[in-house]
Amino acid sequence: MTQLQSSDSRMLAAVVSAQRSQFSAMAEAWLASGATTFSIWAEGTLLGCWPQASFAGPPSMKAAIQVNGREIGEIQVAGLSGPAAEAVLLSEAGLVARLARMEKEIKGMTARLIDTQDQLLAVYDLTEATRNYLDMGDLLNQLAFKTTQLGATEGAAFLLELPGQELRLEHYPQPFLDETLLRSSFEKVKTTENELVLNFSESEMALSGLRNLLLMPIQVRGEICSALALINKREGDFLSPDTKLARVIASHAGSRIEHLLLYQESLEQAKLQVEADLAQRVQLNLLPKTSPQIDGLDLWAGSRPASQVGGDFYDFVSSRGRPFTFAVGDVSGKGMPAALLMAMTRTVMRTKTNVDPTPTPEVILNNCNTELYDDFTEVSMFATAFIGQFHPQNRQLLFANAGHSPVIFCPHEGEARLLEADGTALGVLPTSLSKDQEIAFGEGDVLVVATDGFSEATNGKDELFGYERLMKVIEKLAVKSAREVVEGLFETVNQYSAGLPQADDQTVIVIKGN
Amino acid sequence: MQVQSHSIGEVVVMNLEGRFDAYSAPQVNERLEEALRIETPRLVVNMEKVIFVDSTALATLVQAMKRCRQMNGDLRISNLKQPVQMIFELTRLDRAFEIFPSAAEAVEAFNQ
Repeated sequence: MTQLQSSDSRMLAAVVSAQRSQFSAMAEAWLASGATTFSIWAEGTLLGCWPQASFAGPPSMKAAIQVNGREIGEIQVAGLSGPAAEAVLLSEAGLVARLARMEKEIKGMTARLIDTQDQLLAVYDLTEATRNYLDMGDLLNQLAFKTTQLGATEGAAFLLELPGQELRLEHYPQPFLDETLLRSSFEKVKTTENELVLNFSESEMALSGLRNLLLMPIQVRGEICSALALINKREGDFLSPDTKLARVIASHAGSRIEHLLLYQESLEQAKLQVEADLAQRVQLNLLPKTSPQIDGLDLWAGSRPASQVGGDFYDFVSSRGRPFTFAVGDVSGKGMPAALLMAMTRTVMRTKTNVDPTPTPEVILNNCNTELYDDFTEVSMFATAFIGQFHPQNRQLLFANAGHSPVIFCPHEGEARLLEADGTALGVLPTSLSKDQEIAFGEGDVLVVATDGFSEATNGKDELFGYERLMKVIEKLAVKSAREVVEGLFETVNQYSAGLPQADDQTVIVIKGN
Repeated sequence: MQVQSHSIGEVVVMNLEGRFDAYSAPQVNERLEEALRIETPRLVVNMEKVIFVDSTALATLVQAMKRCRQMNGDLRISNLKQPVQMIFELTRLDRAFEIFPSAAEAVEAFNQ
């Protein structure tokens, strides 16, 4: 058989060969009604003839097989004629035409199905290939490489402009085109939120080497802040299937970018968490682990930071030959800077207490202020501090207060009262104004040195716990041991702010004469 | 928190209104920074309508006051309402700041 030229004729030949028995039945009917031969032709080539092995003689009738107004072949009958027979032949030619058309459609659908499957496979390959990239540059580069393969283009590029970051560009295989053009096209797709296809004239092409460009916007976290550029399709222009493919790649790339960002953020978070945990451990180690045993005193302390690292601190210093000294302080602010300054304040306090020949609370506070004033100024912070000393010989309590509150003194069976500060907090003024003050501290007397996390705790109605309530609670608790007073205070404030997150650090030392 | 400022001669008067706490402190700080950009800043922070201050707010005021004094200027405070006045007294910041009953008196004191 000679080679058929048009695809339609080849299609008809395929139909005849595939549906041979149907055509035989059709021919048998004609032969039975008196025809000598029945044959089917395309481009002058015989596709089939009945009775078999006979020579198709000159036809007495023929009917064209037409698809979409184009003749793709004909059927011929010899030895029979007349209007009735011609009408039957014409309708049969119509049937064959429909058969051929359907065959063509099925072929087209099959081809499209294969294409889609190929695309699915390609996307699967893309997904697999980009699964393990943990660096944004590497990921975009790999995506660009895969895009050139899938899209059959000479090059590809990814643009990514995350909020607060510079625009970054990743090309494969090399920077192909003018960055200005990419940037301006990117601005366009950001505005239109649609793809952009550019086909260049031959003169433009000679100048830039660019034939065509398809730019597809990519959504990252709900915003168009990225785009995929397909550069120079290997054959022809960018058409609808290319756009569809680019959309699929863009959507996959968007989710990969989001995924990577999330990964990087959680890694950052984990690093911070490790640092914060470390800082908290260091800070907890700075607080005394046990309360010292001091003759004539029952004492207890507790501290509960609001954020992981707080600015509250307390300390006990009891060294041989020196009066027992205790301190509570609160560095303004929270978090790491507050914790660092807290550690510094504590160190200076300890050193002064242990080294100074006459370390009265006033002297210690003055020294701390002088030593740390510049550091506090540097970081715009200050620290309130209360320092007390117990002298067992005369049962006197010596103290100095740099802006610290609440400090509440509750004499045995008496009314609680605030011991107000006389000096400003450390770091406020170049010289401290705090002076030594003295009170008698007998059996059953209670001193509570707390931080404002107690007095400023709020309830559901945003009302402060306040000093009055605090003093009432202390009067009630004063008969109990120092430890029970501390626990009672935490419990009462807890109940007051029932369920609300703790806004500030809460630290307290309770000293009771015995 | 609302912050409004105006100048009377060489003195900048800053009127604050609302809760002055860790949330609003950055906003106030920004306005204070602006006012501190001159050679000898003279500031009056009028707190007539401030109903609450926390330690971050106090730290913000202390920082601005220290910087003013470094530049031979000052930050003065006027019109403290009762609960806020109490906090200034308890922390003894009333000894660090010059505090006046009214903004006019604070401005007047600068001009003497």
